[in-house]
Amino acid sequence: MIKLIIAIVAVLVVSNVVTGLAVYYASLPPVSGAKVVTVVGPWAGNEKDAFLPVMDQFARTTGISYTFTTTRQEDLQTSLPNQFAAGQSPADLIFMPSAFIKTYAGQGYVTSLTGTIGPSTYKPGALDQVTANSAIWGGAYTGKVKPGFWYRVSFFQAHGLTPPTTWSQFTTLLASLKGITGVKNPIISGDGVGWPLSDVTEHFIATYGGASMHQALTAKTLKWTDTSVHDLFATYLVPTLQAGDWSEPITWDSPGVNLFWNGTYPLYFMGSWITGMVSDPSDLGVFSLPGGVANQGIVFAADYFFVPKFAAHPVEAKRLAAFFASAAAQTTQVRQGGHIATAAGVSITAYPSVDARVAGLLTGKTVLPDLDDTIGGTFQTTFWSQLQLLWSDPTKLDSVLSTIQAAT
Amino acid sequence: MAGPVLRLPHIRLRTVLVHLAAWGIGVAWLIPFLGVAVVAFRPLGEVALGWWNLSPFNPTLANFAGAWGNSDCPLSMGIRNSLLVAVPSTFIPLMVGAFAGYGFARYRFPGRDYVFLSVVLLMAVPQQMVAVPIFKLMLSVGLLNQFLGLILLHSAWGIPWIVLFMRNFYRTLPVEIEEAARVDGASEFKTFYRIVLPMALPAFAAVVVLQFMWVWNDFFFAKIMLQSTDRAVATLCVTQLSGQFTRPWDLLSAAAILTLLVPVGLYIVLQRYYIRGMIGWTIKG
Amino acid sequence: MGAPNRARSGPALSFRRLAERSTFFMPAAILLLLLVFYPIATTIILSFFSGSSFVGLGNYGAILQDPATLNPNGLSGGPPYGTLVNNLLWIVIHLPLSLFTGLVLAVLLQRVRGASIIKSFIFLGMVTPLIVIGVLLGFTIEAPVGFVPAFFGSIGLPSLDVNWIAHPTTLLFGLILGSVWSWTGFSTIIYSAGLTTIPKDYFEAARVDGASEWHIFTRITWPLLRPVTLVIVTMSLLWELKLFDIILGATNAGGGVGGAADVLALQMYRYAFVALPPEANKAAAVACMLLLFTTLVAGFLFRRLLTGDAPKPRAARRLATSTRAGE
Repeated sequence: MIKLIIAIVAVLVVSNVVTGLAVYYASLPPVSGAKVVTVVGPWAGNEKDAFLPVMDQFARTTGISYTFTTTRQEDLQTSLPNQFAAGQSPADLIFMPSAFIKTYAGQGYVTSLTGTIGPSTYKPGALDQVTANSAIWGGAYTGKVKPGFWYRVSFFQAHGLTPPTTWSQFTTLLASLKGITGVKNPIISGDGVGWPLSDVTEHFIATYGGASMHQALTAKTLKWTDTSVHDLFATYLVPTLQAGDWSEPITWDSPGVNLFWNGTYPLYFMGSWITGMVSDPSDLGVFSLPGGVANQGIVFAADYFFVPKFAAHPVEAKRLAAFFASAAAQTTQVRQGGHIATAAGVSITAYPSVDARVAGLLTGKTVLPDLDDTIGGTFQTTFWSQLQLLWSDPTKLDSVLSTIQAAT
Repeated sequence: MAGPVLRLPHIRLRTVLVHLAAWGIGVAWLIPFLGVAVVAFRPLGEVALGWWNLSPFNPTLANFAGAWGNSDCPLSMGIRNSLLVAVPSTFIPLMVGAFAGYGFARYRFPGRDYVFLSVVLLMAVPQQMVAVPIFKLMLSVGLLNQFLGLILLHSAWGIPWIVLFMRNFYRTLPVEIEEAARVDGASEFKTFYRIVLPMALPAFAAVVVLQFMWVWNDFFFAKIMLQSTDRAVATLCVTQLSGQFTRPWDLLSAAAILTLLVPVGLYIVLQRYYIRGMIGWTIKG
Repeated sequence: MGAPNRARSGPALSFRRLAERSTFFMPAAILLLLLVFYPIATTIILSFFSGSSFVGLGNYGAILQDPATLNPNGLSGGPPYGTLVNNLLWIVIHLPLSLFTGLVLAVLLQRVRGASIIKSFIFLGMVTPLIVIGVLLGFTIEAPVGFVPAFFGSIGLPSLDVNWIAHPTTLLFGLILGSVWSWTGFSTIIYSAGLTTIPKDYFEAARVDGASEWHIFTRITWPLLRPVTLVIVTMSLLWELKLFDIILGATNAGGGVGGAADVLALQMYRYAFVALPPEANKAAAVACMLLLFTTLVAGFLFRRLLTGDAPKPRAARRLATSTRAGE
């Protein structure tokens, strides 16, 4: 009997110790000097490679070493609140959507960055989404612009087409695109998990409802069921959906980009990152929806970061935050391509040429945060899946809008 | 004599038809897997408009390399982590359940059947039923995002069916030898590991196969327990490759194949035990 | 002589034996109490609270009124129907289809050479992780990468040559049929095993008597397979209620276009792990609803398993009740 108990205990202990040790060694921080800062961000692969030079620059100039861990924001959204409640934090500085930062700032889990960073070093409005109760709870890093419909310049030239400047020119363009052999639908509806449809919808709102409507919907002061919103959908988006101007939702990156590039669907609403996904970016042209109201907006989705209350190295974390807010750090980042700075003072010459053009599109328009990223949570899931429903059956507009409203 | 001669061609035609139908269905059943396999072995550009378009056809292992050494979530790490989780999560509940199952099979005590029923009923509990409290419990004891926490959870979760399975198995064993040993003064443990254990080895094999596959294939518990990317198990890697924003079918297909190789391989090798376990668990030992 | 004998075999066990015997249960009891019973109890309690205030069935009421659970427009306008209806639809369609297909295959494969290979092909869907099955199904029904839309296009059904992922009806029924594909391995294997338990001379005797194959099936095979059928039905029901990985793998946390393929388990996941801030109480209420259904289903089968052997379910149940009443 004793022998058997010993055997059981031994197996239990051994199997647990083995796993425990494996876990322990896997999680040991690298041996380093006195000063260290830990960062958690969503980037992996190429995006991570483009981000690490910024961290290296920080380490070089301050002598503070760093560790960077990739964790998806949807996973962090689950784990962080509970870790905060237990008085823990997985890192000193964390990249999360502004909605998250604001929510948990309200619960006292976020260190104020007032005094560390401020609007004076940023482009106007860049910190609005992370400012609450006259304190700054997070910083804006670089971001991505969603400027409008991309087309191939060579395709337009071959068929004698020009970018539209009025809504009726736009519908005429769609009609003539439909007449071209090989074109299945004029516009490709990028899909996958749902977001490209939300981006283009936001563009319709920011153009024909203006920046104010976009802001009011983001702030939840305007209802999705309001007549003005309903009319906007019914006047502009729904008729084009019903007219067959849009393709069926197609996985946005591949085959989506390929089908756009080979002319099956000659127009594509996409963020500025599309320039990195085609074989010849210089052949790309882009136009925003034409016409529209006086004060239009353009969506510029920035990455936001914050320092949690339970950060192990708060001093170093604040230095890093100040660095991310600086033109120096953001210059290094935009040089890698695909990113647009939020910091003031980043020279236009720092951008690769396509990005410089995109950055130029921002002038004269109100910069808006991404609507569903800003609200976040289950609203975002609902927003995406309801727009997919609208694309599938445009006659369901009323129920789509009321379901979206119910989820706010 | 006339009967069989007349019936012979009839039987043959029928047999041929049955074979054709059976093999046709069997092969058709494989088509979805075939599609994934074809995509996994070809560049995405070739298959984006349908994997059945065979020109051009340039088979490649690049997708497997891309998934295996992926920078988002390398399958090499995912499979190692899956093993680190699945092996202890198989043997701990096997031992624990083998003992408890024996107790339920052989010992009488008041309310035994009700206790047993309530344990067995746990098989019906959806994982979602424990998710939030488990999350908080693991967090408070520092086992969140740790393999040990997930192992303990899987171990507890595996006990009900193992107890049921082992108890049904023990009840098929003759009780007389055990009784004789007890009369001779052998302790309960000695009786168990001298007499019962050797006879139970085939049942253990069935438990090992089923429980290992169950843990390997689990997604939900791993998803709520393991947050950081360097702890991801293989099933988590499959979804992390698809990312928040993209669905790269080429990498996904390769990752899917790599992930299912282990359970499928195990099934092929230990099919006998797997089926026996499956049937014993559901019908009767 | 007499005393030790009593101690061994009678109801009064020696302390040593009693201690030994309890040790057999101890590890299982600790693990189950801590990691299964305690969380279940906590979840049940959570479902009656909102924050720290007791709200009775308030969370349940709120969930049942949510169109994500029961969509009143779904009745007239087609999917999305809501999670509760979807789980029910899964049962209504998936259960008979997988049962029937499994039975037909099992009977068909009885007299086929290489049956074990064919069975392995069909069983592949049971061995593969469900999250992979989900990804694979999404891939199979999505246009233009998947073969299902292309197949229907090639046989002249353009209305089905669409991106099945992008439309509520095709998504929902595509995934239901896909899950039949994946789960049929289970019913095939169990039915095949059940068929081997029927003595061969039953069939031979019937054939000698000149019974038709149909007759043999309805009079011998089907009635004798009834206990097996009961097992498959129970296990299938549990599987259909617990559905999660397949939907998430094929679509997203929202259950696809308009939530058309949404199910209860996924709804719970959203409340607990997607909502900002998390709505643990509503998540608990959804989980409890799910638990209620699965326990009802499992009650039927497990009571039978407890009594051990019972080829004829109704008689066995009567027997079980009478035995328990007698105790």
